Amino acid sequence: MEVLEVIKRLLADILDMEVKDILPEAYIVRELGAESIDLLEMAVSLNAAFNIEVNDADIFLLRLRDHVTEAAENKTDVVRYLAERLPFLKRDRIADIVSDLEGGPTLKVKDLVSYVEWRRVNG
Amino acid sequence: MNLEFSGTRALILGGSCDMALCLAELMIKAGFFPVLTYRSKKGQARISDVLKDFAGRYGTSFLDFSDRASLVQIFKEDAACPDFMVDFVQSDLECLIASVDPDDIYRYFNQNISFRAEVLRRVVRMMLVQKRGRLVYISSSAAVRPNPGQGFYCAAKLASEALYKNLGLELAGSGITTVTLRPGYIDGGRGREFIRKDPDASIGRVPIKRALTSKEVAETILFYLSESARGFNATEISLDGGLTAGK
Repeated sequence: MEVLEVIKRLLADILDMEVKDILPEAYIVRELGAESIDLLEMAVSLNAAFNIEVNDADIFLLRLRDHVTEAAENKTDVVRYLAERLPFLKRDRIADIVSDLEGGPTLKVKDLVSYVEWRRVNG
Repeated sequence: MNLEFSGTRALILGGSCDMALCLAELMIKAGFFPVLTYRSKKGQARISDVLKDFAGRYGTSFLDFSDRASLVQIFKEDAACPDFMVDFVQSDLECLIASVDPDDIYRYFNQNISFRAEVLRRVVRMMLVQKRGRLVYISSSAAVRPNPGQGFYCAAKLASEALYKNLGLELAGSGITTVTLRPGYIDGGRGREFIRKDPDASIGRVPIKRALTSKEVAETILFYLSESARGFNATEISLDGGLTAGK
């Protein structure tokens, strides 16, 4: 089963939702209503399902705003700065995230897919 | 009363102390498979000696709270997830706060708080997958009624209690619960030494006028691991013969 399908099933189980309602573009916190305990369960489920080490802060973008602040303080290009710290995200996705910060937590289902695929290649 | 349990795999941290060994024997007799951790060859030998009649019915594993590499080894990927964990680990630093070596402060809190938090993180992440787990932390009456010189011991115990309490708050909905026990004077290990040195200042202050035995404590722990005690969560329970109840 491809990574996206596994992730959708795991999220559906944890959030008590229908798989069909979980789309790659869905915001996990803003739209699906995930809470911190749900994210923790997702981390351990991903670890078990894909046999990968999951760093909660990275996968759930928990330090995103700190990184944005650091980039501003260092007068560094924020997209480049974030790309170094979140190497599993493509630059165009990072640019989207930066432009979307005002709206609340930016994590989407497709970001989890990116993380898992990156981890499987890079360990 | 027949106690029933949700699972049989138990991890006992600090497995070579008297109470842990009593508990391991009770567990084995109740059908558990306990894994006892040790941090020295002496501790490992003690476990083998005390449990010599139960070969093959328990496991041991090296775990040193001052050595993070030992943590990786015990929780390696293929490690079986424990259903229960009982935590007896506590190193000693009996010293007046104003006279302690500053390096000892950091070493002590790293070992007894930070390392414990990392152990808990690893264990409960395993338990979360099976959505089941029960953890019992063995604190001490000294956490709430310390003697002079026990400031660091008391601080580490209270901080550890807080970790367990919060785990019980955070994860009960996912099937993981915690209880902290605070034993008073125990006729075993370090406690026995202290009682012999000054019985009036120790047993003399206990309303039941005696120390508890390691077996009594072990039986109590087994009860708190059982289904009968599942209503106890995120709480601290005194087991001290009334020592901390009065002035």
